[in-house]
Amino acid sequence: MSTTAPPGGQRTLQKRRQAQSAKDKQQKQTPASTRQAGFGGSSNSILKLYTDEANGLRVDPLVVLFLAVGFIFSVVALHVVAKITGKLF
Amino acid sequence: MAGFRLIELARPFAPLLPEVELPYEKIGFDDKVVYTIIAALIYVFGQLPLAGVVKDTIEEQGSSVLDPIYFLRGVFAAEPRTLLEFGTFPVVSSALIMQVLAGLKLIKVNFKVRQDRELFQTCTKLFAVLEYVVLANIFIFSGYYGSALTVFQVVLLNLQLVSAGLFVTLLVEVIDKGYGFASGAMAITTVTIATNFVGDVLGVNQLPVDNEGHFEAQGAIINLFQSMRASHKTFAGAIVGAFNRDYLPNLTTTLLVIALAVAVCLINNFRLELPIRSTRARGVNNVYPIRLLYVGGLSVLFSYVVLFYIHIVAFVLVQVVARNDPSSILYKVIGGYASSNNLLYVPQFPLSLLTPPKSFVECITRQPLTPIVFSAFMIVTGVWFAGLWQAISGSSARDISVQFKEQGITLTGHREQGIAKELDKIVPVASTTGAVLLALLVVAGELLGLKGKGASIIVGVSCGFSLLELITAEFQQNGGQSALTQVLGVTGA
Amino acid sequence: MAKGTNQFERLAEAPVEFVRDGTAFIQKCKKPGNKDFLKIVRAVGIGFVAVGIIGYAIKLVHIPIRYLIV
Repeated sequence: MSTTAPPGGQRTLQKRRQAQSAKDKQQKQTPASTRQAGFGGSSNSILKLYTDEANGLRVDPLVVLFLAVGFIFSVVALHVVAKITGKLF
Repeated sequence: MAGFRLIELARPFAPLLPEVELPYEKIGFDDKVVYTIIAALIYVFGQLPLAGVVKDTIEEQGSSVLDPIYFLRGVFAAEPRTLLEFGTFPVVSSALIMQVLAGLKLIKVNFKVRQDRELFQTCTKLFAVLEYVVLANIFIFSGYYGSALTVFQVVLLNLQLVSAGLFVTLLVEVIDKGYGFASGAMAITTVTIATNFVGDVLGVNQLPVDNEGHFEAQGAIINLFQSMRASHKTFAGAIVGAFNRDYLPNLTTTLLVIALAVAVCLINNFRLELPIRSTRARGVNNVYPIRLLYVGGLSVLFSYVVLFYIHIVAFVLVQVVARNDPSSILYKVIGGYASSNNLLYVPQFPLSLLTPPKSFVECITRQPLTPIVFSAFMIVTGVWFAGLWQAISGSSARDISVQFKEQGITLTGHREQGIAKELDKIVPVASTTGAVLLALLVVAGELLGLKGKGASIIVGVSCGFSLLELITAEFQQNGGQSALTQVLGVTGA
Repeated sequence: MAKGTNQFERLAEAPVEFVRDGTAFIQKCKKPGNKDFLKIVRAVGIGFVAVGIIGYAIKLVHIPIRYLIV
């Protein structure tokens, strides 16, 4: 479009600039990501999902780690039970 | 519909989802190292076989459903028929897609409001867990775990896959929330890729390779030495075998993978150094580097997320709906699956256009169109993502210029007002060009028949670089009294 | 009609321009010297393999477990 349009006079140029600056302003006002809003989060080469503490079941990180290991061992136990009882499933 | 926002959907679920607490005080450098490594190792340890899978699916030849996404597994650190069947894919894809949607303003989120950010985050997590549930059930009902499962087995498999997925999300969250180094998904992926690489090169575990009871090592180098000494092989045959066995990693793929890794190292260090000077003090000159790989390995990750979705949809249509029946319309339109080595499900014609070939020879002889379509796909998705991501991720030209202003820096030879415009000429070009180069590397590796190993090493190394950058920055800030570095004698190189 | 061809031309030109910009950018880039590069590769290689070996050690634990349960 811009190439086919005849070279604009002052009025169109000004209008265009105004529109551009308005667009810029709007973009500035609504950040597109957590980091753009200034609260950490994913950057250009880092994918960071969690930054804020949302409502939910609060858990301690160590609890998570232990539970994860516990879960894995429970699966191992499941295997063992399945093997001992023969045809559990 | 004016008042409706997608993230509101997450609100009722918020109290149910576990949420890792933010650290009360700043976590030290050593603790972060330990947390990151332990979380990643727990992930690696989680690659245990699923309980309740019908064991004899492998013997049940012909009719059994095999692994349809084998070439995507490396990138997402997924292991077939284990708890981590889908690896980090749901976490990575939900993070990327939600962020991209928010960036395109398709989801309305006001990131300035704390409550909105929390909801967005909960929504991302919910979406990830949901993806685990959906994927698990797709695989269960496709017959991947056996054709006649009892209700009990279905419940058990669901329970295992979904809770494993939940724990992956939580492990990622632990690292992300500041207990470890930034990106949990990337740290876990990198460690797993490194593990697989070491396993493929130096792995000593012995696997049965034929019906005569012969065993070969997983590692390519170990296998070379072992088969040189093996009595049932000639010396030359051993060397040839070590270079071109196709059932386990061979030396050719290993060398290719190493070459790719070195190439990524090379282009990762391409940077444009912009001269900057302080506006406050005279004569303080420095350079501000803009990396060629501005978005790092994320562009490849995004391409693979899209690829994964395409292949999963195809798998649902062909396997779950049409049962891989060559006479059905879906099979003809999309292309079916042919089993290979009783391990892999290789997509056939139309779908094979987006499937890396199993070997270079096969690529030339059987799917000559794949190189064109696959590279076009990788480049287009990569470039589109890189162009978008640099703009929305808070590191765009404008964001950098705002940072410059805050820190009292300006580009040498430019007015303060001109910085954003000048950077705008550089940053998007850097990120898209970097994405193209990375995509070309992936394509080169994959077309040579690396079956996902090429893509995974590229993602691994480039994510590793991104993390390394972060870790060194952290180290310079407060790693001075780190006991770990003193023990290891690291000199900050 | 004229507009159509114009748009088509622009569409065809876009990749060419993109490639031109890209190569110009790469040429402007500062590339690591041979010595630096070797140092980087060695450092990254050692780091990568070290992390991999730790991970692989964990995976070795799987072998007896798998033997036990399968």
